[in-house]
Amino acid sequence: MRSLQREPALLLALLVVTALVFLFVVYPQLQVVLTPGPGGYVQYLQEGTWIGPLRNSIQLTLLSTTTAVVLGFVYAYAMVYSNMRWKPFFRLVGILPLLSPPFVVAAAYTLLFGARGVISYGVFGQSPNIYGLNGVWGVQTIAFFPFAYQLIADALSRSDPRMEQAARNLGAGSWRVFRTVTLPLSRPGLGAAILTTAIYILEDFGNPQLIGGSFYVLPTEAYSLISSFGEFTSAAAVSTILLLLALGLYLAKVRLDGGRSFVTISGRASSMPRPPVSAAVSRACFVACFALAGIILLVYGSLVVSALTLRFPNNLQFTTEHFQYVLSGTNGDALRNTLVFSGVAAAISAVFALFAGWLVQRGTWPGRRVLDLLLILPAAIPGIFFGLGYLLAFNQRWLDFVDRGWLIIIAFVFWNIPVGYQAAVAGLRQIDRSIDEAATSLGASSIRGFRDVVLPMLGGSLRVGFVTTFVRAVTTLSLVIFLFTPPTTTATIRIYQLVGDLNWGAATAYTVADIGMAIIALLVFAVLARGRIALGAARA
Amino acid sequence: MPETAHVRVSHVTKRFGGVTAVDDVSFEVPKGSFATLLGPSGCGKTTTLRMIAGFYDPDLGDIEIGGRRVNNLPVHRRGTAMVFQDYALFPHMTVRDNVAYGLRVAHVSGPDRTRRVDETLAFVGLGGLGDRWPNQLSGGQQQRVAVARALVIQPQVLLLDEPLSNLDAKLREQLRVEMRILQRRLGMTFVYVTHDQEEALSLSDWIAVMNAGKVEQAGAPWEIYYHPRTAFLADFVGAVNLVPAQVTNLADGTATVSFGRHRAEVRRPEASLRAGQDVRLCVRPESFTIAPEGTVASGISLPGTIVRRAFLGDTMRYWVKVDDREWIVDQPDPGGSATLDGPVSLSLRPDRVHVIAE
Repeated sequence: MRSLQREPALLLALLVVTALVFLFVVYPQLQVVLTPGPGGYVQYLQEGTWIGPLRNSIQLTLLSTTTAVVLGFVYAYAMVYSNMRWKPFFRLVGILPLLSPPFVVAAAYTLLFGARGVISYGVFGQSPNIYGLNGVWGVQTIAFFPFAYQLIADALSRSDPRMEQAARNLGAGSWRVFRTVTLPLSRPGLGAAILTTAIYILEDFGNPQLIGGSFYVLPTEAYSLISSFGEFTSAAAVSTILLLLALGLYLAKVRLDGGRSFVTISGRASSMPRPPVSAAVSRACFVACFALAGIILLVYGSLVVSALTLRFPNNLQFTTEHFQYVLSGTNGDALRNTLVFSGVAAAISAVFALFAGWLVQRGTWPGRRVLDLLLILPAAIPGIFFGLGYLLAFNQRWLDFVDRGWLIIIAFVFWNIPVGYQAAVAGLRQIDRSIDEAATSLGASSIRGFRDVVLPMLGGSLRVGFVTTFVRAVTTLSLVIFLFTPPTTTATIRIYQLVGDLNWGAATAYTVADIGMAIIALLVFAVLARGRIALGAARA
Repeated sequence: MPETAHVRVSHVTKRFGGVTAVDDVSFEVPKGSFATLLGPSGCGKTTTLRMIAGFYDPDLGDIEIGGRRVNNLPVHRRGTAMVFQDYALFPHMTVRDNVAYGLRVAHVSGPDRTRRVDETLAFVGLGGLGDRWPNQLSGGQQQRVAVARALVIQPQVLLLDEPLSNLDAKLREQLRVEMRILQRRLGMTFVYVTHDQEEALSLSDWIAVMNAGKVEQAGAPWEIYYHPRTAFLADFVGAVNLVPAQVTNLADGTATVSFGRHRAEVRRPEASLRAGQDVRLCVRPESFTIAPEGTVASGISLPGTIVRRAFLGDTMRYWVKVDDREWIVDQPDPGGSATLDGPVSLSLRPDRVHVIAE
C-alpha cells in the first residue's frame, strides 16, 4: 500500500482501472440482476413461464455438449496422437468454424435440410420440419464440436510425451498408455474443456433463435420477452437464471483449471514426438477426421455456393449480384462497422487487460483479489446478459450525445477482458519480478518500467488478447442484439436479419464476406506481427 | 566509526504474515566501503537489502542513505542501483541498450550517453560486445552487463544480491577479484549479499553475519573469522573445531581453560567470563602445526592419532583423535609424499585459541 502512496501516478492508474471495471463490468450486470426487484422475482417465479426454457436449456446443453465433446474428442485424439495424413488440412478446417458466427451452421442446415433443402427435398423429396429440439441439437453439435476439439487437443497435448515414452518403454501398448497415463493426467484439463464447451452451448443464442421454432431456451426467451413484449422485468429475471447456470459451470471449471483455458488456436507444434499408434488406428482416425472435416466443409461450401448462385438450389446460375448487394449501401456500412468496432475494441481490450494484469499480478495493494475476480468474471457472463446489462445501464437519453458505436465497442472491450487478462497473467508469470525491479532500481518509475520493459516482453500476450477479442467481437450475435441501432448495425446482425427475411442469397453472401473479412484482417495482423501470431479464440 | 555512515539501518523490522524475516536490525555502512550481509538462506539478508533498495517497506525502523531518511521514497528516487542474482537483463534490448537504460530514464542525451555507456562497458571488460543480445552472452558476461548497467548511472550505493552465485567456481573467484578492484577504484559504497562465507571474507571491509532475522555479529572479516561471538558464527564461517572446555582461572588479558586432560592459557575474549564457566574453544584447522609423534613443539601440545584424511589440493586435511575427540587439522602445502599417518603430535599457539562464552 505504501508503495502506492509513494507513487501517485501508480495510484491514479489503479483508481482509473478500478473505476472503469466497476462502471463497465459491475454496474451494468447489477442493473440486470436488480431490475426485477424482490417483488418482480417472486411474481416471475410464480408465473412459471421460466420452467420450460430452463428445462430446455439444461436438456439441450446436456445433449449438445455430449455429442460435441464426443466428436471433438475423436478429432483431437486423431490430431494429437495418430500419424494420419492430411493433418495440416484437418487443422485448418478445424479452425474455420472458430472464425465464423456459430449460427451460420443453422443457416446452412436450413439450406441443406430444410423444407426446400438441397438434400432433404432435392435428394429425398421430403419437407421435414427441422425446427425444434432435434434441429438445434444437431446444429449445435456441428457448430461447437470444433471448439471442443480445440480445447481437448490443448488439454491432451499438455500431457508430457516423456511419460508416455516411459510407459511404452515399460511395456504398455498405445491404448493402454492412453487409458492409464494420458487420460488420468489430463483429466482436469478434459473436465475443464467439457465445461467450457457446455458454457458456449448454454449461452448460444443464434442457433436456437434461428431454428428453435417454439423451442425456447433461456437466451432466446430473454430476447423474445424484450423484442416481442418489451418485458424488461421478466427478461432480466430469466437472464439472471441463465447467469446463475453459467456461473455454476464456470466456477466448476475454475476449480479444475484455475480459470486458464480459452479456445486457443496457437500453432501448437508438439516439441517431442509421441509414441506412435498403430497404422490401423491412424487409418481409423483419418476416416473419422475426413468425415468430420467433410461436414464442416459441407456447411461452408453450401454457404459459398449459395452466395455465388442466383437462387440456390433451384437456379444455380453463377452471379455476383449477392456480393454486390452485400458490399453496397447500409450492408457495406455494417460490414465496415464490424471491422472498425472489433478492431478498435480488440486493441483497447488487449492493452487495457495487459495493464490491469500487470497492476494485479505485480501489485501488493489490498483488494487486488477483488479486481482479479472482476476481470475474470465476464468470461462467465452470457453475451445476452451482458448486452442486456448495457442496454439497461447506458441506453439513457442523456447519453444520446455519445455515438452508439462506442457503446458496442466498450461492450466488446469489457466482455472480452478475461481473454487478454489471463494471457497477460500467464505472460507475467514467465517474467521474473526482478526484471521490473531492475528498471525501477535504475531510476524508472513503476509505470515507466511497465512501458519500457514489461510491455515489449509481453508481445505474445498482447497478440493473443488482440486476436481473440477481435474474433469474438466479429462473430458475436448475442452481445450486440440489444445494442445495435440502424447506423451501428454489425455484420452478424445483418446476417441474422437477412436469414429472418429468408433472403438466402444475400445472407450467405454476407456470411462469406464476414468470414472472409475476419480472415483477411487476421492475415494482415499476422503479417504485421511478423508471423509470430498465436491465434486465440473463444466464444460465449 | 570515523567515516560518515552512508547507509544507516536503524531498528528495522519486517514481517511477512506471521514470520519475522528481519528482527530489529541496525547497522551502519561507511561511505566508500564494501559491506556484506552474510548468512544462510532465510536469514533475512536479502530482505534487508531489498528494504534498502525500496522493494519492501520496513514495518518498523528507519533507513537512511547519505543522511536522508528514505522510507518514503519510491525505489527509483533512492539513488541506489541493484545487481540481481539472476542479472535481470532486459532480454529485448541489446547490451548497449541495457546499459543505457538508466541514462535514458534520467534524460542523459545523445553523445554524453553514448560516451558513458562505452566507457562503462570498457570498464567492465565488455568493450565491443555492445551490439550483442543478452542471450548471446555467457553467464560471466551477463553478470558484467548487470554490473555495468547499475554502475553507469553512478548510484550513491550499489546493492548486489548474490551476484556471483549462478557462476561456476573458477569464474566466481575471478570475478570476486575484479569486483573488489572495481569497488576500490570507484570508491563507491557497495552493499553485498551472499551466503558464501569465502566470498564475504575475501571481498568485504565489513561483514554483518545474519541468522534468523538478526545480526549475530558485525565487524571486519578477520574478527568474524577468528573471534566469532557464537558457535553458530564459528561454524558458519569456515571449518572449525568447537571444543567444550571450562574456565579455571581468569587473569588480566588471559584466561586459563581446561579441556579433557589438557589445560591452556589463552587470550581472554571481550565477553564477560567467570571462573568455572562452561565455554567452547574455537580453533581453526589451519592454526595447528602437525608433525610426526615425538617432535618437540612450542605452545599447546596435543598428542593424537590420525583417523582419516582428505587431500584438498592446497592442503591436506586430517581428522586427528586426541583423547576421545576428533580434531580437524589442516596441513598447508602438503607436498606429494609427505602424507602423515598414525600417531602425531599437534601444536597450537595459545593466541590462536578463541573462547566462546555461551
